[in-house]
Amino acid sequence: MTKTQTSSPVTHFLSGESDVEAMFEALGIKDYDELFADVPAAVRRSLKGPVGQTELEVRRAITKMLAKNKDFESRPHFLGAGSYAHYLPAEVAALILRGEFLTSYTPYQPEISQGLLQAMFEYQTYVCRLTGMDVANISVYDGPTAAAEAMLMTVRHSRGKEILLPENLFWEKRSVIENYLKGTGTRIVTYGYDRATGEANLNDLQSKITPETAGLFMENPNFFGVWESRASEVKGMLTAKAPKALFVVGANPISFGLAKGPGHYGADIAVGDGQPLGNPLNYGGPYVGYFACKEDLLRKMPGRIVGETVDNKGRRAYCLTFSTREQHIRRDKATSNICSNEALNALAFSVHLSLLGEEGFRNLATTNAVRARALAARLNDVPGFRVAFTSPFFNEFVVKTARPVQEVERALRRHGVAGGLDVSGKYGLQGHHMLMCVTELHPEWSLDAAVAAFKEVSA
Amino acid sequence: MAKQSEIKPELKYTKDHEWVRVEGNRATIGITDYAQDALTDVVYAELPEVGEEFKAHDSLGVVESVKSVSDIFSPVSGKIVAVNTELDDSPDLMNSDPYGKGWFCVIELSNPKEIEGLLSADAYRQFLETTAH
Repeated sequence: MTKTQTSSPVTHFLSGESDVEAMFEALGIKDYDELFADVPAAVRRSLKGPVGQTELEVRRAITKMLAKNKDFESRPHFLGAGSYAHYLPAEVAALILRGEFLTSYTPYQPEISQGLLQAMFEYQTYVCRLTGMDVANISVYDGPTAAAEAMLMTVRHSRGKEILLPENLFWEKRSVIENYLKGTGTRIVTYGYDRATGEANLNDLQSKITPETAGLFMENPNFFGVWESRASEVKGMLTAKAPKALFVVGANPISFGLAKGPGHYGADIAVGDGQPLGNPLNYGGPYVGYFACKEDLLRKMPGRIVGETVDNKGRRAYCLTFSTREQHIRRDKATSNICSNEALNALAFSVHLSLLGEEGFRNLATTNAVRARALAARLNDVPGFRVAFTSPFFNEFVVKTARPVQEVERALRRHGVAGGLDVSGKYGLQGHHMLMCVTELHPEWSLDAAVAAFKEVSA
Repeated sequence: MAKQSEIKPELKYTKDHEWVRVEGNRATIGITDYAQDALTDVVYAELPEVGEEFKAHDSLGVVESVKSVSDIFSPVSGKIVAVNTELDDSPDLMNSDPYGKGWFCVIELSNPKEIEGLLSADAYRQFLETTAH
């Protein structure tokens, strides 16, 4: 190991100095700073830390740095909005950290990857069973891009010129969908929600469907956590005016422990983020987008698909299939430019689900819903606070708060917890509002702390 | 192989290996014997919609085989008046009977003069001998 004389303070364990210099010369640069010149100066920084110290010293220094972070166990929070804190059984990590799964790169050559291909086939099967759909791919990046890909698919299929999105769609998700549709010339039309119930306003929805509608996106439960009780009417409304339009439903997969999958009530495509099963919060990612649809739409679906077949000895085998939709074959005519997936996260999803089993899965969903309702009821009783919407919800709900959300947040922090998402002023909401999520993971004391904090603010 | 692939003398052809049977103001289109052999087993044909309009050289749809996906380019301009729905269940007809039951679609010509620009059977045979292998 040699210390390279460069403008960067980091020591590299490269081959000798002359190799580095030769590489720099071949690139036509003189130092590391030039190599990273594309990184904006504002975010470029060097590692200020335990450099050139022993492993023990480094370990202690980093551990001390990390101790400043508050994770869910040290400070439970009530955030949801697409990223959910759930309990992950130890077997999940034990299995997915196996080298065969963890470090294999694009493990889809059937001759040597039957294990992973089978696991992905089983993942697809789980997704189909949960969503009530015929076919699924082996995942896309996350929920928001899955929704965006689905809307692109509706345009491809129906050749319509506009898509319908709910007013109360998480602004980050809406941004992703808009980005993906840029360049296609597709118009985005918004349908409103009922200010009292929190559900979609079906009159407004119906009035906004035109013969040019390519597809409609609805979440169930929606961003407010509210169940869309009339979702089964949407497909008929679409078909009446736009026969080729597709109905896309986005859902938290754990909600299927209580509710029927979208395939059972008229949806053509089901998407969502698989993060709640098997995957930690991961500071926002990696997550895993699930994507499933009806069989007649199979060839329009993006992403990789694993199929079951037999080998030349008649033994069951798995391999990638329908590859001709993908961009390495179809180029600009492919169903998508995606040529990747989230195999490890999809595996974690499958492992967790298989450990739960049908009964455990139902219990998990029920526990979430019951605890969320219980907390909502207690918070609703605090003077000045009320649950914003009247319709039933899954494990998230919106609370109208007596005081600005920042004040409520400070009170919550004083009680050792952190709040939900500030949605004040969003989607036409008047006054202060917080979106809160409760799962099976919240310890009882954290729920009591939330109530105590609210009471303190109310007083 | 090119010397042995079947070429029907009464049809017109394109350099993209499509054949055209002109009857009055309508043209039936399919892929040639050479094309079906090169593609190998056809597993799926994506047909256009009846009523859709195309210009010459537009992609009408695709033919998917076990090893590739190929566009079918329209030899002429016009409107689709019929598509071979039998290909939905039996895409292999394009292999077994490319000039007969494996037809792709029928177009009503909007510019009949375009027919003159297509290759005759002899010209297509020559084209195969010089360029194909």
